Amino acid sequence: MPVAIVLLPLLGAIVAGALAFIDPGSRAAKARIDKLAQAVTCGALLISMVLAIITFNSVAINGQTQTITILNWISSGELEINWGLKLDTLSAVMMLVVTVVSAMVHIYSIGYMHHDPSIPRFMAYLNLFTFFMLVLVTADNLVQLFLGWEGVGLSSYLLIGFWYDRPSANAAAIKAFLVNRVGDFGFMLGILGVFVLFGTVQLDPILAGAAEHADTVLNLFGGEAHALTVICILLFIGAMGKSAQIGLHTWLPDAMEGPTPVSALIHAATMVTAGIFMVARLSPLFEQSDIALSVVTIIGASTAIFAATVGCVQNDIKRVIAYSTCSQLGYMFFACGVSAYGAGIFHLMTHAFFKALLFLGAGSVIHAMSDEQDMRKMGGLWRMIPVTYALMWIGSLALAGIWPFAGYYSKDIILEAAYGAETGVGQYAFWLGVAAAFLTAFYSWRLLLMTFHGKPRADEPVLARVHESPMVMLVPLFVLATGALVAGFIGYDAFVGHESGAFWNGAITVLPGHPALERAHESPTWVKLAPLAVGLAGIATAYVMYFLKPDLPGRVAAAFPRVYRFVLNKWYFDELYNAIFVRPAFVIGRSLWKGGDGAVIDGVGPDGIATATMGIAQAVRRVQSGYIYHYAFAMLIGILVLVSWYVLRSV
Amino acid sequence: MVGTDDPAPAARPSLWVAVACFNSRPPVGRKGIAVEAFLSDYVPIFIFLAIAIAVAAMAIVASYIVAPQNPDVDKVSAYECGFDAFEDARRQFDVRFYLVAILFIIFDLEVAFLFPWAISLGEIGMFGFWSMMVFLAILTIGFIYEWRKGALEWE
Amino acid sequence: MPTAEFPNLFPALPEIFLLVAAMALLMFGVFRKDDEAGPARVRCSRIVARLCILALLCALILVVTMNGSDRVTTFNGMFVVDRFAVYFKVLILISSALSILIAQDYLEVHRVARFEFPVLVVLASVGMMLMVSANDLMALYLGLEMQSLSLYIIASFQRDDQRSVEAGLKYFVLSALASGMLLYGSSLIYGFTGTTSFDAMAGALAAAPGEAVSLGALIGIVFILAGLAFKISAVPFHMWTPDVYEGAPTPVTAFFAVAPKLAAIALLLRVMMEPFGALTVQWQQVIVFISVASMALGAYAAIGQSNIKRLMAYSSIGHVGYALIGLAVGNEAGVRGVLIYMAIYLFMNIGAFTCILSMRRRGQMVVGINDLAGVSKSNPMLALALAIFMFSLAGIPPLAGFFGKLYIFLAAVQAGYFTLAIIGVLTSVVGAFYYIRIVKVMYFDEAEEVLDRRMDRPTALVMAATGILIAIFFIIPDPLLSQAQAAAQSLFGG
Repeated sequence: MPVAIVLLPLLGAIVAGALAFIDPGSRAAKARIDKLAQAVTCGALLISMVLAIITFNSVAINGQTQTITILNWISSGELEINWGLKLDTLSAVMMLVVTVVSAMVHIYSIGYMHHDPSIPRFMAYLNLFTFFMLVLVTADNLVQLFLGWEGVGLSSYLLIGFWYDRPSANAAAIKAFLVNRVGDFGFMLGILGVFVLFGTVQLDPILAGAAEHADTVLNLFGGEAHALTVICILLFIGAMGKSAQIGLHTWLPDAMEGPTPVSALIHAATMVTAGIFMVARLSPLFEQSDIALSVVTIIGASTAIFAATVGCVQNDIKRVIAYSTCSQLGYMFFACGVSAYGAGIFHLMTHAFFKALLFLGAGSVIHAMSDEQDMRKMGGLWRMIPVTYALMWIGSLALAGIWPFAGYYSKDIILEAAYGAETGVGQYAFWLGVAAAFLTAFYSWRLLLMTFHGKPRADEPVLARVHESPMVMLVPLFVLATGALVAGFIGYDAFVGHESGAFWNGAITVLPGHPALERAHESPTWVKLAPLAVGLAGIATAYVMYFLKPDLPGRVAAAFPRVYRFVLNKWYFDELYNAIFVRPAFVIGRSLWKGGDGAVIDGVGPDGIATATMGIAQAVRRVQSGYIYHYAFAMLIGILVLVSWYVLRSV
Repeated sequence: MVGTDDPAPAARPSLWVAVACFNSRPPVGRKGIAVEAFLSDYVPIFIFLAIAIAVAAMAIVASYIVAPQNPDVDKVSAYECGFDAFEDARRQFDVRFYLVAILFIIFDLEVAFLFPWAISLGEIGMFGFWSMMVFLAILTIGFIYEWRKGALEWE
Repeated sequence: MPTAEFPNLFPALPEIFLLVAAMALLMFGVFRKDDEAGPARVRCSRIVARLCILALLCALILVVTMNGSDRVTTFNGMFVVDRFAVYFKVLILISSALSILIAQDYLEVHRVARFEFPVLVVLASVGMMLMVSANDLMALYLGLEMQSLSLYIIASFQRDDQRSVEAGLKYFVLSALASGMLLYGSSLIYGFTGTTSFDAMAGALAAAPGEAVSLGALIGIVFILAGLAFKISAVPFHMWTPDVYEGAPTPVTAFFAVAPKLAAIALLLRVMMEPFGALTVQWQQVIVFISVASMALGAYAAIGQSNIKRLMAYSSIGHVGYALIGLAVGNEAGVRGVLIYMAIYLFMNIGAFTCILSMRRRGQMVVGINDLAGVSKSNPMLALALAIFMFSLAGIPPLAGFFGKLYIFLAAVQAGYFTLAIIGVLTSVVGAFYYIRIVKVMYFDEAEEVLDRRMDRPTALVMAATGILIAIFFIIPDPLLSQAQAAAQSLFGG
């Protein structure tokens, strides 16, 4: 049955993909094909979701972990890789999150993509993505995990560039794929390192055997390095790429070129969380290396604050939410960095719900505003689309970490754990996390106020068409909102509280030397209340700047023009990368193309050979003169040569 | 003669085909027989050849030395009873001559094959007789063909 | 003096039958009243043509049913019938029958339809069958000359066309030179082995190991090879091929391209393997040289051609080069490869020539490659058939031509002749250009003047049949493969 969870989306993708090739003759035919594609894919995913819930029940709640081996994939020398499913609490949680959010996004897409000319293709890609994500989270060996990793990257590329006639979409898709590739390179090296160290890529032996290699040293380039540190850092580089951490984050905002359901599913709830999942899955390895954990913490915290600052000045509604995602991912990483893996996964789950809710709600707004995404052209919508407005409030409250919404519980425990780690990096993470919490609340309410309040800044025709979304788009939002409401206090005890030991049941390993999560429960009251306080402060600031005194933001920006531009341009990361990597790559490429390929290879190769061949052909033609005596002479010369050959050889 | 042990069968080109119908025996001890004795049979032919060359050469050389060489336009031109030549003396080669020559060759070779057959008829018996009859029949068919086709018509 | 016994005529029954049939039809034709260039003459030629095809088919049946799988010799060991001979006789008879079939319409259009043509083809076939069954240098020469004489005549069959006469004349003169070299080689061999019979030669040449091979015998082999290489148009004895192929009437070219080549290759295989099998290491070098040169020339020289018949001539030179790789390898697998290759080559070429025969404009034959432009629109079936044949000639899977080359190269690689195989592949690549250029001209070029659509029934049938055979060969290759395997085995005394 768990196999069915993974395979049903693949089947749906194949069927819908086949449907995408059929050319509908009429509008009625197209409508039928689209409906069929939607039915197949959504049906597959709903069944998957139900099965995932049942599996979650049996594996996580009832503790029946199992590993199912399906078949042998590679058997080469010492390398044995099987297709298998590793079902423990971690994978059950991830499966649940992935299938639920994916199912909701599928249903939402029925309404959102209603007018799109290529619905079967879209649904097929969504299903394909879900399949790969499930492969990733249920992998029982690193290679299968990597397969899922690459597969979700591929699906992301296909979905970002779904509207392939837009050059910006194509560019964004390529950017996403390339930046991920950089991370994947590190990941691959990490997997190779694991194989070198452990002799296998199967997860069970690796996780069990991590402790033995605690002190193993690798010989690298003539020097010695702690093996697990190197490996974990390499693996984390992969996670950085996939989860858009600072340095390899540049693709995430551009990925908003894709349709909004895609952003909700991939770039908020599931794909970008693959990195955190991987770190949590390999927690036995990471635990053995303090340096690696520190790196994780620092990067995570830095990302959290960086993304939050940039999100404060973005004008595109989706980009704000995108940077918000980036920032929250930073939270999850620094939670793992201080060995509070449970907290990180808990936040992953709650974040999936409320971020997907926010994205889909933003999609509703965009849908209502006839595809307008610039917040400066919105405003005054709350009376016209009240349901969307209310749902966005719920999502924002959860994001900002206001009690009793889900984000409160998960964000709080993370910051408490950072404080409770009592290390330098922990403190760094804590303070940056608190600052980021302030900014999170600030930009969330900035979004709400700019979009829904104030005088409407859109023009008449657009305003006339503003309408509430249909039920097919609102029902998934309700489901997600329910999750954003209750997931926090329902899951608190199991994920990070008193029952966390029994709940995780060995899926996560924390060494005794890293007591951050336990100490979190004993942290001082001010630490517990700090996130809530700064969150409310952020909301208040936003009200001041965007509701009470709407001209204040403009004056602040004018007062600090350089700071404003620095943040608006995303800290100039893109320009930096362009100068360091992109332009030199193009120069090298061009010179290799013109000089290397064109002159040398083509000249010696195809073109040169072709010219030489024509020359030889011309020469041969002239030999055939037409005179008999020439021919006879040639025959005699031939005989002469052959006979001489033998005579000379025998002499 | 055919049928006796011939120490040098390769030296009889005209009987080569007839001999090969039988198992040809490898030459016995070729190196044993002195080359001079082997070649002594052919000395008359060589003398004949030498005399023929000498006579022909003398004719040409004598004419070249003794006769006066004073070519002149009128002397070299074609003779047509004192007149200037009316037209080019050349004519398109009539294929009839060629046909006659070819037919002659064919039937002459037929006769040439008849000679050794006739001589050895005693030894080769009925099989030999009927082989030659078949050969003649095939050539006769060819003859009938060319007769019907008009190759023998002179005009 | 032993009396000669009556030889066993039974193994030679197909040849005897064909010979009698040819002469009977000759008499039949010559005794009918036909005027010069009148409809009666055409009728006569049609009747004789059909009867000749019938005779060839009867001979085919005789060949197939009469002979068992053992090796039978007759005429004092000069005539041998084994599975190898049967294999090639079948192919030769099929090619002769197909040639007569497709020739009729062409000859009528060009007003040279005479009854002598099919009779000559039958006589040539008899010569070829004799060549294939030859077990003695004498029989070899007899068959060779019988075939050649008929071919001289039909090459210049279009008496009024200067190019046809020129083709016949060139072929005759150069063929005489080649026959002279062959005879000289035979005499050397006879001198150095003392016999003309292949079986006895094999014994005489299988000298005790360690003894140096007689140089005279080797030179004799070289001369015999030269004569035979002329017949199969292998470099450097190939120079007659383009001119003769171009000048001769197209159905005669078709016949030239398949049947004499088949017979000569069979003869070459038998001569090289049976009597001279002991000297394989020595004559292999010559064959390798000839093969490489043929492949290279066939590939390069055809590139500049604009006349499709000349192009087919160079193509056939190239193909012979590939086939000779199998001979150069010198073992059973190589011979099997050659057999498969030649069988497939037969059908490819006949098919290609039927397409060439259909290239007419207002009743006149056109032979330029550029005249094929736009055929895909005006005559799609012709274009498809010609495309199949061109791709097959280029050796592109899954068409039959690929399998021919596959088995040849397989034999070469398995015997360790990697360089030879690599050269074969590279020249295949170069050669593929001109085949595919024809396809490109047909499908991608605009026609200025379209070709006639009318095609006579026999030609169309043959085109369809060979096209289908080439296209579906890969589904049922077994009959051909097993026959070729048995034939190759029989050559090695299996």
